[in-house]
Amino acid sequence: MSVSSTPSPAGTAPDRPRRARVAARTRLDFWFDGVILVGYTVSYSYGWTGVVIHEWLGIGLGIALLLHLTLHWDWVVRTTRRLISPRGHDKLIWAVNLALLFAMTLCVASGIAISRVALPELGLYTLQSPFWYRLHVLTAEVTVGLVPVHVALRWRWIAGVGRRLLAWRPARRPR
Amino acid sequence: MDRRGGPPPAGLAPGAAAAVKFLRQFAAVAAVVAVVVLGGLAWNHFAPSLPGEGPAAGGRALVVRGHIVKGVRPSGKLRPGVRVLPGGKPPPGVTAVTRGNIRSGIPGLMLGDLLEPVNLAVLRQTAFLEAAVIAAVVILDMGYCRLRRARRAKT
Repeated sequence: MSVSSTPSPAGTAPDRPRRARVAARTRLDFWFDGVILVGYTVSYSYGWTGVVIHEWLGIGLGIALLLHLTLHWDWVVRTTRRLISPRGHDKLIWAVNLALLFAMTLCVASGIAISRVALPELGLYTLQSPFWYRLHVLTAEVTVGLVPVHVALRWRWIAGVGRRLLAWRPARRPR
Repeated sequence: MDRRGGPPPAGLAPGAAAAVKFLRQFAAVAAVVAVVVLGGLAWNHFAPSLPGEGPAAGGRALVVRGHIVKGVRPSGKLRPGVRVLPGGKPPPGVTAVTRGNIRSGIPGLMLGDLLEPVNLAVLRQTAFLEAAVIAAVVILDMGYCRLRRARRAKT
């Protein structure tokens, strides 16, 4: 989550407006997380997408969730080790993230269990039990409450990186 | 597992070391996710009921997803005062479809619903809900930070 704002190296076009320099990893985190948020919002809107898009998008979100967790595994390990420290903010974020991990994993897993289009198309038979349907609905409702909290607890980082990524710097005047 | 800033494993090029680190972390994440999924399977096996509900009774539950017109009865008929536009389309902003099947608890496939502009209200509603929660948390966080700063300034 590091953002570097060092000026562009000598030799690059100085008179063209440019974006602030942001580390590649930070850019990846910002855009990837943005895509996950939009994907989740669309996938949750089942009444608009219909079952086919909902299921394929859900499977995609499951893979994205695995990658998102892998990319932030360092943070998970570090924060879990520091849980005994008195910093309340990190503890809150950790608790929200843990709840979201459970809710989203169960949501995707139950969605796969009740899939009627995506998995049968791949030749896989799925469970069709009311438990998994109700679990899917329940975890989706919990997730739709937790996802915006998860995003909002990082609003300073999002605002900072977003400003650097999206704002154009004025062009430098040639001397 | 946290090797940030540490030396790469001996005998590996930096790119390969990063790949090994990624795979190791991916395996750890997959293990955590597998534990949660196994927990879900155990829940289904040993106590198949959800918070606030009784035990799952074979297919009596009505599973409802999406934006539902409150005037629609489970039979699909509208209550008095609720109007459906000609051509079977629901009023703008709502989807007049019962998503459930009383007997099986399994929602209908709704293959005809795909990205219908009339159902954009569902997406709008989700986005609005998320934006409202984000705004509330940001306001609370800012207020909390100001309060802490004010307290620190006093002491």
